[in-house]
Amino acid sequence: MDVPETVRAALDDRPVTGAVCLEAGAGLGNATAGLLAAGARRVYAVTNDRDHATAVRERVGRDDRTAVLEADLRDLPLATDAVDLITAHGLFNVLAPESLGAVVAELTRVAAPGCHLVVDDYDPVPDDAAVGDLFAVENAATRLARGHPALSFYPAAVLRRLFVGDGWAFDRELTLLEPVPWTASHLRAHADVARAAAASLPDELGEPLAAEASRIAEEIGSESVGRMYGLAFRLAE
Amino acid sequence: MQTRALGDTGHDSSVTTFGTIALNWLEQEGADQMVELLLNHGVNHFDVAPTYGDAELKLGPKLRQHREEIFVGCKTQEREYEGAKRELERSLTRLGVDRIDLYQVHGLEYEHELETITGEGGALEAIREAKDEGLVDHVGLTSHGDPQLILDALDRIDDLETVMFPLNPVVVGKDDPEYDYEAVLERANELNVGTLGIKAFAKGPWPPTDDLARADRPYANWYEPVDTPGAIRERFDFAAARGLTSVVSPGDPKLVAMVVDAAERYDGMDEAAQRSLVERLRHEESPVPEQLHH
Repeated sequence: MDVPETVRAALDDRPVTGAVCLEAGAGLGNATAGLLAAGARRVYAVTNDRDHATAVRERVGRDDRTAVLEADLRDLPLATDAVDLITAHGLFNVLAPESLGAVVAELTRVAAPGCHLVVDDYDPVPDDAAVGDLFAVENAATRLARGHPALSFYPAAVLRRLFVGDGWAFDRELTLLEPVPWTASHLRAHADVARAAAASLPDELGEPLAAEASRIAEEIGSESVGRMYGLAFRLAE
Repeated sequence: MQTRALGDTGHDSSVTTFGTIALNWLEQEGADQMVELLLNHGVNHFDVAPTYGDAELKLGPKLRQHREEIFVGCKTQEREYEGAKRELERSLTRLGVDRIDLYQVHGLEYEHELETITGEGGALEAIREAKDEGLVDHVGLTSHGDPQLILDALDRIDDLETVMFPLNPVVVGKDDPEYDYEAVLERANELNVGTLGIKAFAKGPWPPTDDLARADRPYANWYEPVDTPGAIRERFDFAAARGLTSVVSPGDPKLVAMVVDAAERYDGMDEAAQRSLVERLRHEESPVPEQLHH
């Protein structure tokens, strides 16, 4: 699978060669693949999702520089000061506000002095974006089913202040995607998440939410809207 | 319409090049109108080949009428001296002109072909001879083969002045060396060799003939093209912003006016928008349902 252009652009000005890296929230291992291609010495790909861990192992597991770890980002199985470069590529939008503080503190703990940090994520979608309706239904279903929303889009300035508050020096901001291409496959995946959450709710609540998620995803098809940003930080030497 | 220096040739090519294979599908009157349309919009670089049906013959009358306004590139699929010399003479006759501005070795695919054209008795010998005789002004190469082969050709053919190769967002999104035409673009730019982009408007292969018979395809292209003004403009902007000298229009005449319009409106495309297009197509091509991130 190819390394996305977003990952290439985000890593392009970072010193990856020879670095011990952590991909926080590995998803399908997009950043891990980019870090390996850019010459990382070691990459810890961390995810709390078993399917994602399997997908990353299948994708890059043959590279002996990779260790795929199934772990909670609030409690990483890594030593203090262990990594030179951390990526959070598309991570924060799946973290609810209540877990932000603990994740940032833990990433800061494992970061070695002088560590680089890359945070790539999405600005909140504009009010008139059709995908916003789908995300609203998805969040309603997941909040009711699990107690927290599936998606939270933090403005770049919010994450910037969050990390600066924990001792990271802000380095730069890029626009990685504008507009963001929410493709039919993305939207189907979001509708799937909404339906799965809705299925665990009482029928009178879950069924209309599931139906609405399907309807909206079908109606939108695909939409290109909003912005994906790339932030970079550095910890003091 | 914007023009860009075509490498070291001294010619400034319009940011779109007219792929004259489109004339093959038109009657002479329509072909004449098409050429006038392109000239009216400032397109000054035309590309033709003897293998494009009767495009050479149909281009001929208007090319002769507007000879000084049109920079014409032609091609040979011959690899050896005699064949290339004969094919060049035939093209001059069919076009009805006494000089071709750019003569290109067409569709290079294999390393052994590179050996043949560069060797003694090879096609390049005939093209250089024609250059000395004033029949040809500049030497070029076209290929949709292995990028490494084009890179080798750039290194080995000292007097190469242009290269023509595929470039579109689908190709840019792929990491395999077999799709690395960006390396060709970069090397050509270093060498100040002009770059002509093909397949900028390719959407994908046609469905299997069992699902869609060849005779039922709505376009003459051998691939399925994008065909709405928005998509054409997006593809044009991408190819032009990537740094090609000129983007070659697709082979079906129904698409040409939309491409000319896109070329005329061209005003750059920033990197975030380029990446957006690459990512969109990457996902559309191989949808991974569980993938939530770009």
